[in-house]
Order: sequence, then structure tokens, then C-alpha cells
Amino acid sequence: MLTEDVFRSRTLTVDGTAVTYYDSQDTKGRDEMLVLVHGTSGSTRAHFGFLYPILAAKQRVVSVDWAQPEGLAGPLELDHLVRQVTAVVGHVRTGQKVVLLGYSLGAVVTAVVAARHPELVNRLILVSGWIKTDLQQILRNDVYRALRALPDDSALREYNTFCAFGGPFLAGKTLADMQPGMDAAQFTDFGDLQMDLNRRIDIRSEAEEIRVPTLITGGTHDQMVPFRHQKDLFGAIADSRLAEIPTGHAVVFERPSELSHHIQVFMDDPSRHPTGTAIPVPAP
Amino acid sequence: MLSTTERTDMTENPSTHQHPHQRLIVIGAGFAGLGMGIQLKRRGEDDFVILERADDVGGTWRDNTYPGAACDVPSHLYSFSFRPNPDWSRMYPPGWEIQQYMRDCAEQEGLMPHLHLNTNMEDASWDEGRGIWRVRTNRGVFTADYLVTGTGHLADEHFPDIPGLDGFTGHRFHSARWDHGVDLAGQRIGVVGTGASAIQVIPELAKTASELVVFQRTPAYVIPRRERTFTDGERRLFRRDPQSMRDLRSELFWGGENNYAQRRAIPQFLDAAKAEALSHLASQVTDPELREKLTPRYEPGCKRVLISNAYYPALTAPVTTVETSALSRLDGGRAVAASGAEYELDAVVFATGFEATEPPFAEVVHGRGGLNLSEHWQQGMQAYDSISVAGFPNLFIINGPNTSLGHNSIVYIIEAQVEYILGALDHARAERFQVMEPTREAEDAYVERIQRNAAGTVWIDGGCKSWYVDQRSGKLTLIWPDFGYAFRDENARFSPEGYELTRAELVSAG
Repeated sequence: MLTEDVFRSRTLTVDGTAVTYYDSQDTKGRDEMLVLVHGTSGSTRAHFGFLYPILAAKQRVVSVDWAQPEGLAGPLELDHLVRQVTAVVGHVRTGQKVVLLGYSLGAVVTAVVAARHPELVNRLILVSGWIKTDLQQILRNDVYRALRALPDDSALREYNTFCAFGGPFLAGKTLADMQPGMDAAQFTDFGDLQMDLNRRIDIRSEAEEIRVPTLITGGTHDQMVPFRHQKDLFGAIADSRLAEIPTGHAVVFERPSELSHHIQVFMDDPSRHPTGTAIPVPAP
Repeated sequence: MLSTTERTDMTENPSTHQHPHQRLIVIGAGFAGLGMGIQLKRRGEDDFVILERADDVGGTWRDNTYPGAACDVPSHLYSFSFRPNPDWSRMYPPGWEIQQYMRDCAEQEGLMPHLHLNTNMEDASWDEGRGIWRVRTNRGVFTADYLVTGTGHLADEHFPDIPGLDGFTGHRFHSARWDHGVDLAGQRIGVVGTGASAIQVIPELAKTASELVVFQRTPAYVIPRRERTFTDGERRLFRRDPQSMRDLRSELFWGGENNYAQRRAIPQFLDAAKAEALSHLASQVTDPELREKLTPRYEPGCKRVLISNAYYPALTAPVTTVETSALSRLDGGRAVAASGAEYELDAVVFATGFEATEPPFAEVVHGRGGLNLSEHWQQGMQAYDSISVAGFPNLFIINGPNTSLGHNSIVYIIEAQVEYILGALDHARAERFQVMEPTREAEDAYVERIQRNAAGTVWIDGGCKSWYVDQRSGKLTLIWPDFGYAFRDENARFSPEGYELTRAELVSAG
């Protein structure tokens, strides 16, 4: 039988909010499971269409789709998302600690979960995350807001594509190649709340508290979360190693296979790259 | 290539001549043999020979000279990472250009003195008493501590057993043994097969044939060939800034790796692959009846996905007939299809592939107690770490069981295996081991894990019959059912785990 579709959704109610998650269930004979957390305005399907089923071929994988908190009156806070992820991890794990992976804003969330709940997390993988929002990100966020306010969203779609993908990747594509992805982008109120949260990130103290072995990866050509942020995390997290991937922020679309390579090595052989290693870029 | 003195010796006693003992004998001078030789030379090791049965290096690319022969892996990826070539003319290199690249490799890396051309391995036997390999050839006997085979998957052509073959009155030859002395222009030509070679040669033959009959058992999935030539400026940049060449290679490699999701049969990627191929078919073939004949009924990747912009147009040419059944017999100048259809033909080209699942080299390799590798592999070939076999000490097989990729460059795998062998040689030298042999348990456990991992992939469950699967056991013996990088992560570094290692003094004492 061909590989089964592992996108089977489950729901867990957290703080009165229904949170969707996916669970591949099959342990593939391993004790450890991997929990994925997507990025801003994302979902398991949108950000982990490749990674979730591919990683599920080697180990049990759970992926969390965070949700807009019911009855949210004020702004979205990091704590809202941290509580949702923590609850799902606590619910799905079977005694063992999990390996937690976050992408973009999801990396910020999972870093905080790892800092606060060492009893839940064995190892941590931060993909294109950051530690404190800087002015370059604020200015980009301002332009997003201005375009989002326009009645016609075509400029917003182009801007989003322009920012998300690496220059070298886009240079090798045509507009026709990119159009389906551009058209598929979703802009919602909940997305706007996440974009607003992105302006206020500062997890410097939490990052210093993380004790678990951590893999940090980021894109050379990232214009949303420039690579210097990966170095900041590399410095702040005690037991970390750093892998650079020659992509933009949209590594999950550009080179999901290079990312899955780093992830699987860290799953199979966490000590392959000792603490403090800048992992050499693979030279195939 | 041989020196005059050697030649004199050989004339006197060609097949019993005893050549000086070496550390390594490498069989074959294709990508595997040359890659092994180059890395040995670069480490300053000189005690090895490369035995090549043909009169030139190049392997597959020396043999396949049919019109239109080209590689369907991009040139900058289908070459050694440690020997990049800024001068590739195109994205997908023609065969002769790869052949030239390999000649340059052999000459410029100093391999010529190690090469014995026209030297065919007739028998290779492990000498248990002395702990060495003894290789008998038509040009004398070679001995060495280690035997490394690099005979490839596409070395020995497969000729189907067609009744009436010998009595056929026209020309007939295999695509890998093209007869350039035959002028096929204006002829009525049959092509048997619709695999990777067939789809390249058919467009060329359709240009000049008076009639062209294509015998198709199973249609292939064909996707567009994103071909382009490199400009002078690009090639100059590759020379001035070699990093730009490495960046391109890296982009091509990871782009290929992304396609593994299709082979893993992840539904959304499999659907996208199918849609791409079927829309290519729809855009190039408007006749609904022909389109129906060319529509595959299995999952893409189960058989190799082919790339061509010229194949479908050649099938729609007025001279071409697509016969959707096998060639069942030849009768004088007539070809009879399984459907009963008959065609008068002047020539038949067999593009019928290679002996890959049951490699002929194994028939002449003998391990402990005279154990024959081919018999040992009766239920399908297998090896520990895809490279070594229990019962066959100090034997390393490059590009053997579970090494082929359906989605990326074999040269990448070959490099990983060369690295493994160098690691094994270093370990043996440092620890003074003379004999290394994997345990049967380690080998079985490794293969079991591969077969488990193969479940759910298009190769096993894609609904087709292919050369990737050994029909005797139903096991996936040719393909590495994972990412290319996973092969390197798991199999590029030698570890003594899984091996039985014996020190020199024990071998001579025993």
C-alpha cells in the first residue's frame, strides 16, 4: 500500500479554544516523538506540507495548528500560543519528553516552551526564529500593515513573496512558477494579530534559560528574519549548534530537503555536532 | 596504453602473466572506478590497478553512443564534486561530453599508469590462506589485499529472448552497442522499449526513418526537459568564481532531493508529479486515441520518470506507429507484435535496458570456500551498508545493491561509497587489520531496515513491474529508498561496527 495520508486532524480544547493538531501515530520503532509548530499566518498544511509527512516516515510526528483564543479582547500575546503548544505536548506525549521544532514565530513560541517546561522537552529545533525584534523587522512590518489596509491585496501578495523567498531562489523562477503560491496566501484577522505580536518579541531572558540541546537553523538570504538573529540565538542558548541554509525565510518551500537533512541528523545522532558548532554547509 | 615491454611479456604468455601484488584492484573505469582511483592518487597512494574490459574509460558513456544519447541528470551535478567542470555546454550534457570529462579525469589525475584496458575479469577468488584476492584476466593474474568493483548498473545490455532473432534479415542491435556502420536514413525501423534510452533515440530516428514502429509494453511518465545552454559569460564566471559553480550544484542537488517526496508517495507531491506529466502529454499529443495509449496506469516514479520535449512530438510524426504490445517474434523481415500486428522492417533497435538486478560480474566472484556471489544472491542482491557482503572478505562493491536513486545523481552516491572505502582502508592500516568482513547478522539487519523503509514508496507499491525490484523475491534490491543525503549520512563513514576484523598474524597462522 502506498504511503498513507498522515494529515489526520485531532482537536484539543485549551483555555476554552479548540486547537487542531495532527498526529502520524506510527512510532516507526522509536521512543522519541517530534512536535512541530508552524509560523506566522501558517498551519501544518501550509508550512509543513513537506516536512510533516517526510519526517513521519522516520518517527512519530505531531504538528500543532495554533488558534485564535476564544473571546480575545486585547492583543495576541506570546503566552496564548505558548499555552496552546504546551497543552498539546502534554496531551500527546507518552511519558517521554519530546523533541520540539518551531518555525519562524513558532520557533519563538517553542523556545519559550523549552525554557519554561524542561520536563516536557528533550531537545529543541529552532528554524528561522529570532530573539528580539529589531528595526529592520519593524519597518518591514509597517509596510505589511500599510499594504494590508489597501482594498486591493495584489501588492501585498507580491510584497509577501518578495520578502519570504531568497533572492537566488526567486532569480531562478518565473512569475508563473510563483503565482499559485502567491494566490494561495491567506490574509486574516488572526494573521494580523500574529503580525502585531511579531513587533513585540523579546525572549532574551528565556533563551538564556534553555538547557536542552538545541539545533538552530536559518536562511542566508532571509529578509524577514535576517541571519544575524540566528547568531543571536546561537550565542544565547547554552547547548546549541547552528546550521546555515542558503535560502530565504521560506526554507520550508525552497529547500525543505536540506532542512529535513539537518533535522533527521539531529534526531538520529544529536551529538554529531558538539555544542557550539557552526555546522558546515553541506557540499553535495 | 600499455608499455612496449609489458606488451612483449603478454604476447609470450598473456593469460598467466603474474602482475605485481597491489593493495587494491578496482574493476571498471566508469564514474565508480575513476572516483576511487582519483581519491587514492590524491592521497598519494600508488599501489592499485584499475582493470577495464573495454578499450577506453567512461563506462556507460563510452558504450552508449546512440543518436541523442544524453544524461537526464544536470551536468554540474552529474560530475565529481571534487572535480567541477566550468565548461559544460548545457544543463543536460550529451553523452560524448561526459565521456570527454571522464577521459580528462583519467589523464589529468594521473590514472593512466594504473589503468589496464582491454583487461576482462574472468574470475576473482578470495585466497583464504594468504588473505588476498586473486583476479584472473585475459591479460594475466592480478593479486591485491582488497577488491573494489565499480561495474555499474548499466554495463551489460539486456537482450530479450525473441524467437526468430537470429534469422532476422534486417539490421538489429542494442542501443548500447550502436552500429554506426548502418545507415538508417530512409529505412523502416522498429524500436523495442520506451525507457530512458528509447525516448532519446526515437526523436532522432523519426527525423530520417521512412517508417518507425515503437513497441511499447508500458508507457512512461514524461516531463518537460528544462534544457538550456550555458553562455560564454556563465562559463567564464564559473572559472573566475568557482563558488558560483558549487552554488549551482548545491541548488540542483537539493532541488532533486525535494522530489524525493514524490517517490515516498506523499499524496500531494505524487499528485503534482502526475499532473505535471499528464499535462505535458496533453499539451504535446492532441489525438485522444494516441494520448490514451501513452497514459501510464501506475504511479509516477515506479519506473524512472523521463524528461523529454521531443519524444511525444516524434510519436505524433506521420512516420511513427505506436504498437502497444511487446515484440513477440521476428520472422525473416517481419516483426510480429504480441497483439498479432505485423510490420515489415529493415532494422530493429533494442532499447531494452541492462542486466541490473542480476549483475553479471557476480557470476565470476568467489568468496570464502569458493562461495559464488551470484549464487549467494539467488534471492536478490544485498550488501551491508550497501557495500560489503558476508562471506566475501575485503570486497567493496561500489554502485551495487540499494544504491540507485530515482530522483538524484548516482555520482553523489559513488562519492559517498569511495569515502567509506577510504575510511575502511585507514582503519585497517591504523589497527593492523588484514581481513574485514561484515557479519551475516549485520548484513541481514541492514537489509531488513531498508526493506521496511521501502514500504509505501512508489518502487514497491506503485503498481508497475520494474528493474528496481528483484522479481525472484519481490525485494527492492537496486534502489536506495530514501533521500540521497540519507545515504551519505548513514553510509559515507566507515565504522568497524558490524564487521569481523582479523589481524595479519592470525591470517598467516590460520
